[in-house]
Amino acid sequence: MALIELKKVTKTYRLGGEVLNALDSVNLSVQAGEFIAITGPSGSGKSTLANIIGGLDRPTEGSVVIDGNDLSRVTDRRLSDYRNQHIGFVFQSFNLQASQTALENVMLPLLFARMKPKERLARAAECLEAVGLGDRMKHRPSQLSGGQRQRVAIARALATKPSIIIADEPTGNLDSARGEEIMHVLKDLHKQGMTLLVITHDMSIAHQAGSIIQIKDGHLTGRN
Amino acid sequence: MRFIDYIILALRNIRRQKLRSALTIFAVVIGATSVTIMLAAVFSLKGFMTKQFEANGVFQQVAVSQQTDITWDNRSSGGGCNDCTKLTDDLAGKISARPHVIGVVRQTNMWQFQALIYGDQKLRTQQMIAYDANGVIPSQVIAGRDIAASDKTGVLTISADYADKLGFKHKYDELIGKQVGLYAAEYYTGVGSDPIKQAEEQQAWFNTHPGADGRDYKSPPVTITGKIVGITGAEADRYTIRVPLEWARQMQLNQRYEVSPAAQEAAQAYCRAHPSPNCKSQGTPQLVVSDELAKNGYSNFIVKVDKASNAAAVAKDIRTTYKVGAADAQTEIKQQLSVFNILGLVLGGIGGIALVVAAVGVVNTMVMAILERTREIGVMRAVGARRSTVSRLFTFEAALLGFLGGLIGLAVGYGAILAANPFVNHQLQSNNVQSSNIIILPAWLAIGVVALTTVIGLLAGLYPARRAAKLDPVEALHYE
Repeated sequence: MALIELKKVTKTYRLGGEVLNALDSVNLSVQAGEFIAITGPSGSGKSTLANIIGGLDRPTEGSVVIDGNDLSRVTDRRLSDYRNQHIGFVFQSFNLQASQTALENVMLPLLFARMKPKERLARAAECLEAVGLGDRMKHRPSQLSGGQRQRVAIARALATKPSIIIADEPTGNLDSARGEEIMHVLKDLHKQGMTLLVITHDMSIAHQAGSIIQIKDGHLTGRN
Repeated sequence: MRFIDYIILALRNIRRQKLRSALTIFAVVIGATSVTIMLAAVFSLKGFMTKQFEANGVFQQVAVSQQTDITWDNRSSGGGCNDCTKLTDDLAGKISARPHVIGVVRQTNMWQFQALIYGDQKLRTQQMIAYDANGVIPSQVIAGRDIAASDKTGVLTISADYADKLGFKHKYDELIGKQVGLYAAEYYTGVGSDPIKQAEEQQAWFNTHPGADGRDYKSPPVTITGKIVGITGAEADRYTIRVPLEWARQMQLNQRYEVSPAAQEAAQAYCRAHPSPNCKSQGTPQLVVSDELAKNGYSNFIVKVDKASNAAAVAKDIRTTYKVGAADAQTEIKQQLSVFNILGLVLGGIGGIALVVAAVGVVNTMVMAILERTREIGVMRAVGARRSTVSRLFTFEAALLGFLGGLIGLAVGYGAILAANPFVNHQLQSNNVQSSNIIILPAWLAIGVVALTTVIGLLAGLYPARRAAKLDPVEALHYE
């Protein structure tokens, strides 16, 4: 059975009087442990697709079944817990809390997992070690380089041991060397068995994935 | 999220915006301080007065008078009435035998004297009373001694305000043992007056004013003397002179030098039998003495009952059994003291307005915080925060602003109370009240103030929290 199973997923936005189909009857199946790149032009619906898989957004129609659970009709509580336990998000602009240290940023998801403070500290430290920032734990984002910040974000995504990492343009704000570095970290995670969804319009990054899904005007136009 | 984590996170967020948080808390502090001070002052005063009444046994007292519409407050006013049951010694004896009654004080008010004379000073007398010295009505004696049961005549106590006027403020002891005069301007017929001389003078006046109206005649003034044995505190008995009951009885005697009807009849009969132009048909005047106090009864009785809780029942018993007026102090005083509850509500309400303004500040602060932290809220939602978690987090933060404001306000209010007490003590001492530090901060008020500001903060946080929880996580993550 597929880890991610989307059936006839449609997402409609209303902008003023206009109806916009961000996703139009999309079917998608992803196996556990796959590394998939989602590409397409701006406004094609790739972020919407990622958000629906990640449980940040709900489809207007269709079903989203992740690991046997239908997410399209669950409560906010269930959906939030799903994000907490199964999904790790990595954003283009890192989205770290400026006033908090790397360690505190990584501990944030663990707070919502009701973990005890000692365990939270240990797990967050472990994740920062895993992305090579064991010596930067007490640093604030402003004291870190762009690449280091994104690694903190990856460590945060890993904190609750999710089964899927969704990275939305993870290298978008980085130069190519730092971008390569981040891709290296993500690929390492994939090698360890993590299911990886990377949204990008950089084809050099897309080609590092196991398969590429192309999306345009809300339709999947190809997969290889 | 665990409860403690909410608090830690809320505290961290409050610290992040130091100035704004401080200003918001400051507004709460003002409200909490004013509520604390006002309520503490009002309820301390009420408690102080209740305690004073309890301490001097007023709650165990029932006032009895001839008038059936007596209230505790006007227990001393009103004279006799013809059809009323008179407050005689006999009635006092009967009442003292009723159940729960442990003592009866007979009291009479006097109006014969207009002035208190000491040396060349002449003070207007306002209230002069006499009652049984059996300890039922406690006197607050601040110098010398109280009137004792063994005192018969010639001694008196005066209240401190008289002593102050006589120039003995704060040296009351020097006045003890001094002779003072009680001055009656006219028509005084009690002890110390000279009825024979008065009769002669009246006769002489009529002789020199033939055909004059008798009402124009003014009898000569009388001054009787007594020794001051004690000074009483002024706050309970303003401008009061007290004398022993026996002396009061003598002061109220009606001593006349007059021809009795029988003597008149005898003289006329004699003249008829022995006609002569020189026969005196007017009869020989004789001294006639009537005990007015015994005849008219006392002004009122103060009945002491065994327990304050029986006072109302005893008052009712006396009313129905003897057809006299009877009122207990407790019912009335407690009703009067309940004015303080209303005062507390009004003053507390004024502080409450400050708290409402503070609540608006909290709402404003929290709405601003949401705008600033929209992306942060998006991140929290993305990594697994539920709507309820976000909502609770903001509610906690607002409640914490209220809590901190309440706590600081309480401390400031308490400081103000500590600072105010010495002034109040000074004021009490200059009024000869033996109490100090009467403004207290009861535990219920301290807890109540902090609880109130916390709840106000919490309520003020509800709307912003709802807004924060309703944010769409996808939009929030892309908020600039």
